[in-house]
Amino acid sequence: MMTVQWRNVRLILLRELRDQLRDRRTLFMVAVLPLLLYPALGIGMLQLTMLFTEQPRTVVILGAEHLAQPPLLKDGSFDPRWFKTAETTAKLRVVTDLREASRSTPEAVEEQPQQTQTELLRKAQAIRKKLAERQQLTSKLTKTIDPVEMAAFTQQSNSISEQLTELFSTSGMQVLLIIPDDFGKHVLQVNQQLAERQPTELLDYERPIVVHNNADEKSLVAFSRVREALNAWEAEILAVRLKLAKLPSNLPDPVKPISEDLASKTQLQAVMWSKLFPALLIIMSITGAFYPAIDLCAGEKERGTMETLLICPARRTEIVLGKFFTVMCFSVATAVLNLISMGMTGKHMASMMRGPMATGAAMEFPPLHALIWIIVLLLPLAAMFSALCLSLATFARSSKEGQYYLTPLLMVTLGLTVFCLSPGIELSGFYSVMPIVGVALLLKGLLLNPQDTLLYWYAIPVLVTSVGYSLISLWWAIDQFQREEVLFREAERFELRLWLRHLFRDKEPTPTFTEGAFCFLIIMFVQFAAFQTLSQASLGADGKIDTIRAMRVLLVQQVAIIAMPALLMGMILTSAPRRTLRINLPSLKVLGIAIVLALACHPLSLALVGAIKEFFPKLDDSINHVMQEMGSSNQPVWLTLLVFAVAPGICEEIAFRGFILSGFGHSGRRGLAIVLSSLAFGLMHMIPQQIFNAALLGMVLGLIAYRGNSLFPCIAFHICYNGLAVMHGRWGQHLVEQNPQGIARGWLYVLSPTAGIHYTGLTLVLAGGVFLAAMAWLIRGLTAAEHLTTREPVSVLPSPARAS
Amino acid sequence: MIYVENLQKSFVDLRRGQFTALGGVTFDVQPGEIYGLLGPNGAGKTTTLRILSTVLRPTGGSAVVAGYDVSTHPEEVRARIGFMSCNTGIYDRMTAWEMVEYFGRLYGMQEHVLQARLEEIFETLKMQEIRDVLGSKMSTGMKQKVSIARTIIHDPPVLIFDEPTSGLDVLVAREVLKTIMTLKDRGKCIIFSTHIMREVEKLCDRIAIIHQGRILAAGTRRELEARYQQPDMEELFFDLISQSETQRP
Repeated sequence: MMTVQWRNVRLILLRELRDQLRDRRTLFMVAVLPLLLYPALGIGMLQLTMLFTEQPRTVVILGAEHLAQPPLLKDGSFDPRWFKTAETTAKLRVVTDLREASRSTPEAVEEQPQQTQTELLRKAQAIRKKLAERQQLTSKLTKTIDPVEMAAFTQQSNSISEQLTELFSTSGMQVLLIIPDDFGKHVLQVNQQLAERQPTELLDYERPIVVHNNADEKSLVAFSRVREALNAWEAEILAVRLKLAKLPSNLPDPVKPISEDLASKTQLQAVMWSKLFPALLIIMSITGAFYPAIDLCAGEKERGTMETLLICPARRTEIVLGKFFTVMCFSVATAVLNLISMGMTGKHMASMMRGPMATGAAMEFPPLHALIWIIVLLLPLAAMFSALCLSLATFARSSKEGQYYLTPLLMVTLGLTVFCLSPGIELSGFYSVMPIVGVALLLKGLLLNPQDTLLYWYAIPVLVTSVGYSLISLWWAIDQFQREEVLFREAERFELRLWLRHLFRDKEPTPTFTEGAFCFLIIMFVQFAAFQTLSQASLGADGKIDTIRAMRVLLVQQVAIIAMPALLMGMILTSAPRRTLRINLPSLKVLGIAIVLALACHPLSLALVGAIKEFFPKLDDSINHVMQEMGSSNQPVWLTLLVFAVAPGICEEIAFRGFILSGFGHSGRRGLAIVLSSLAFGLMHMIPQQIFNAALLGMVLGLIAYRGNSLFPCIAFHICYNGLAVMHGRWGQHLVEQNPQGIARGWLYVLSPTAGIHYTGLTLVLAGGVFLAAMAWLIRGLTAAEHLTTREPVSVLPSPARAS
Repeated sequence: MIYVENLQKSFVDLRRGQFTALGGVTFDVQPGEIYGLLGPNGAGKTTTLRILSTVLRPTGGSAVVAGYDVSTHPEEVRARIGFMSCNTGIYDRMTAWEMVEYFGRLYGMQEHVLQARLEEIFETLKMQEIRDVLGSKMSTGMKQKVSIARTIIHDPPVLIFDEPTSGLDVLVAREVLKTIMTLKDRGKCIIFSTHIMREVEKLCDRIAIIHQGRILAAGTRRELEARYQQPDMEELFFDLISQSETQRP
């Protein structure tokens, strides 16, 4: 019935493209910025690395005269031979307490540092004293057993530690090296004893102390350098010692494995690109959609040309499609231009840096097949972003407002992108169907390891769902564009008081879409906010989860967090709470069908969940354990049934098939209402496995709610279904305990010691048949009922327009 | 040509709650006639005309324009009307010629017909010198000319003008009114809304005085004068409005 005139779409597309190309801002964002940005960044980076000189950090050495041979210091600083690159020594300024202060550098300008040197040494001495004090306390602490004394010592020691931190951070030095008295002498002695094969009782001589503060970045860097020098120095001392003792020099390394890095040059490149490209692709395709979408919708409203377009013969769908393709063009173009520009800059930089820095090769361009994949994945991604941006921008009245609405979308996208970049995250069944995440991870995997055939299998769900998401977004955009309250929203001032008055004065019999969505958000939010408190409350005295307490908490959660918001909102915000919550006497037929459906759904969903178990990320063991414990037959049966069947049956139905379904179905679109409410119902279950199953059951429940026009069949279904699930677990456990070895076989179920009750194929076929028949009955009845009710006016308000 | 029967429109608004913008409006307009909708701001003129141009959907009643119902065949209606209001602006980043040409194409005109029609309109409206000027560089008068050209490019049988002279100086307003007169002479069915009395007196064959979503009085100027025994249109208008205000709470 709705044929799209592609001629009109093309006309609008061409006009919008030309319009955008004449807009300086868009051109700048799409073309100029990427072409300038990366070369400019590249040049900037090069210059920075050239100009960058690191400030030397101060290392104070106390007891420098007691250093062992070979000399650690040379010309007043660390001997360059202790570092991998000799220049490192210049990055550490060394201040020692050597009397002669044999400084080779000219002294003329050293007047000032000389003073600070004595100051530094004074502070270093103070730190050394405090350290010794603490050392004494610690040794006293190990000797005493009196708890009062112990507490006093611990407190003193803690306060000294605090003082030390304070002293060190204000001292102006980054590392303090304390060499104990006669350290060098001791080392020599041990060398000698070893060489002469004498017993060495001197091995536990006092060791040097390196004071540093890892919370301070400067100190951290300086410490790592000092450590490098000390390690090399120690190795040298050891080598001397071994030589004197006539022992082989590789004595301390009996294992010393040889590292064999098989990473090829292309793979090294891939590591770089697999991180940069997906991120850049996603961020740039949304940025590219962002500004044109705002300009094409909110901007057009703002400039007063929207109505001009609306009165031309083109349909709204054609207008949206024209605009959508325009936005998508810019989204794709921005992403591609950015990638090319970055790739080129990277390549150029790599060729410039070649030579000492061989890692520059990692900036080489990715291979051709990867580029093809980028384009293939970019298209659905850009389509989704374009449609989403378009919908949000349609809602906005001005460009400024459009930016406000689109910023959250940008933030969410950035968050997901960062998530995908984390090293541990890999493509899995669940991730592959998530928007944005699937595309990013697939691309990351393909760039990193193109030989992995599993990835190509994942490409199917990723592509199918991406196209699906973009179609849904596009449908939403078209829907937005057909609503006059969106297109002709008046720029009225928002006042909280007015709005609240409106909320209570203009109550409708059933909640609006927004109110329904808001109820769901409240449930989710309170659940999230109360999570900490609730899990605290379910802990027993021993700090472990107490099953009975946890069950009580679950009960409270059902009533207070799920049922209460819906009940309250139903009473306050609607003029017909009973109609909203569907508190009507059910027909016995629907009630019966609901119960039969619950019986049929039980084995089916068990089989389904079992079949797709691998698809979801694995659950944490502790959660599994708690769930098992709560369902186990150790708990009284009435409590288990109350917590897991009756309470959710009533509370969740009041919220999801009561208030939320009424809200989503406000405009009369029942299919949409059922789908959205079951998605919400699924999401409330938090755990991915349950989300999927619950969403499917939500569909069935939504159908029952509409067919019976009553909440009671839904409650009956829910209680039966959950009750069966609980009993299935308990009874299975019970039977296994009774009959621990054998496998009992029946017509309808098989009992196995590992899985409990397992339904046979026959049961599944029977249940499937019953399920299909019942669903067919529900749907047929519903479409018949729709014919009767469609002509009913949407609003049955007694026109309170001028009541005041 | 235009038949409006008990047309209603209500929507929800934060300040006023459920608000009735049109409470049952009935009138008709014939070819070769200019029908004037006269009313203060917020009377429901724009809402009526937006429904006639199918941009808004009515919540009750019916409207048939050029033989098609606005609710069931909106595309057919839109193809047969020319609509101009102060809300139908022109594109900033398009020249006058491109703008009118674009709409001609959207109306599905054949290319050679369109080009000939463009030349003709640009000639008669004296727009040749602004042919290649971008919308953003035009004065208000020039923009209004482009809007008129856009409205009549497909030579529609029905024309709807919603306050076409608002914000224009006297010279340009006069030009616009003159164009509307010539369109009437060519047998078009024209509906024209304004809150300016003089324009109605000068232009319209029949007048409807509309206030708070209802037509208070309708007829030719002479009929109205006779019915209310008030020769001065402005006085008549004022009397009707204040009378209606006192009647309603």
